[in-house]
Amino acid sequence: MSNPLHKKHDFIERSILSALAFLKDATLSEEYANRKGFLQSLDPRFKTISFLAFLVTAVSLKSAILISPLYVLCLILALLSRIPLRNFLLRTLFFIPLFSLFIVLPTLFSVVTPGEPLWSFHISGINAIITRPGLDGAVLFVLRVATSVSLVVLLSVTTRHSELLKVLRLFGVPQLFVLTVSMCYRYLYLFATMVENIFTAVKSRVGVVSHQRHGQNVVAWNIANTWNRTTQMSEEVYMAMLSRGYTGEPRLLSKFNATPKDWLWLLSAVVICAFLLYKGYSL
Amino acid sequence: MHIPDGYLSPATCMVFGAVMIPIWAAASRAVNNTLSARQVPYLAIGAAFSFVIMMFNVPIPGGSSGHAVGGVLVAILLGPWAACIAVTVALVIQALLFGDGGITAIGANCFNMAFVLPFVGYYVYKFISSGSPSGSRRRIIAAGAGAYAGICAAALFAGIEFGLQPLLYHTANGQALYCPYGLNVAVPAMLLGHLVFIGWVEVIVTALAVKYLQKQGAVFFEGGRS
Repeated sequence: MSNPLHKKHDFIERSILSALAFLKDATLSEEYANRKGFLQSLDPRFKTISFLAFLVTAVSLKSAILISPLYVLCLILALLSRIPLRNFLLRTLFFIPLFSLFIVLPTLFSVVTPGEPLWSFHISGINAIITRPGLDGAVLFVLRVATSVSLVVLLSVTTRHSELLKVLRLFGVPQLFVLTVSMCYRYLYLFATMVENIFTAVKSRVGVVSHQRHGQNVVAWNIANTWNRTTQMSEEVYMAMLSRGYTGEPRLLSKFNATPKDWLWLLSAVVICAFLLYKGYSL
Repeated sequence: MHIPDGYLSPATCMVFGAVMIPIWAAASRAVNNTLSARQVPYLAIGAAFSFVIMMFNVPIPGGSSGHAVGGVLVAILLGPWAACIAVTVALVIQALLFGDGGITAIGANCFNMAFVLPFVGYYVYKFISSGSPSGSRRRIIAAGAGAYAGICAAALFAGIEFGLQPLLYHTANGQALYCPYGLNVAVPAMLLGHLVFIGWVEVIVTALAVKYLQKQGAVFFEGGRS
């Protein structure tokens, strides 16, 4: 049986678990990107443009009825791309949309959003009234957030991260910035492992229970230590780049190949977005 | 602090995206002047460092724990312009690959966390530590004060961005289309959490990290080559 005192002070365990969750998440995302599914078969450039169009449409629409087809499309695309629906729903609904639902709850009531009463009930002698504008606003807000999160998650889990970062060049992002982002992504994995090793070493020496003040010192010392190792590493990486002929002008390799299927997909996405925006405008 | 997609209107997102373009351009110029060809590995590793800081859970009174953003610590070590780029890179990766912080809200998130946070924090640090030797106790206090000011200023801006939504974007019958709370709710809600809780996590991380870096003889950014 676990000791509650251990749980209370176990910041080391929590940090390790966060690091591992982060690593697993990143690995899992690449796992879906390597599956043979519909979204995985699309050219990353076309897929990114179409998903950004869907995202801008979802954020621009002012009606839950018009946003809901986009959410249904996300679920269909997840199934066609061989992403288990349970995992997809857990990942897309559990954190941000659930948090959004929590913060939007007070707006359901007449105290915050006056309007046509829809339903009233008593809580501890107080008459609570849910209004139509309150409910409409809350549904619109949560559905928009859930659809946006679903679109971003679909894009990121069905595309190899290195390819997704290269697509940034399409939007006029300077090559230097794209290279910096790509390099940073590669070092994240290394640094996360480094953090994990540091905490495992600390845990093996101090055990589970650690006083709060001591814990703060351990964390700060590790951050300072990580910084020292990163500055050392940046010098070594720079020397390695120079030895391979780097002159300060980065070049990125890209092997994207568009097929008629990609053009058809993009056309369909544009038609869907234009139709929804037109409907939203005429409402 | 990370604003997700759907909380801000497209117009607000576009305004902050447009505001960030000259800031990023100025940051690139400033970093290029001080780091030249070394900037790619230096910034990439700096960005990875700022990402990793967010993975450290800091124990706080009551048995709970929280994580810091670390933007002011990065600004003290790399300078505010390099911190602006490093935090931007970290935010882009978080938004694009991990769904943390919205893609449409990337301009607003970068404005709050890659511009307001490191710049406010760095200049508070610089003002308090001005003239003190790099190993002095005043630097530790200045780092803590800078971290607190930076994170609270960023939270204030995020609160204002949220609070403006129902004023600017609503239906004819007053129903809010985006973040539903006005300035009177959004600003205190954002500020209170940061003034009472998150700000202190940032203070602990930044001040203690600076203390340990002083002991290890690290060189802090002084306005020229770092």
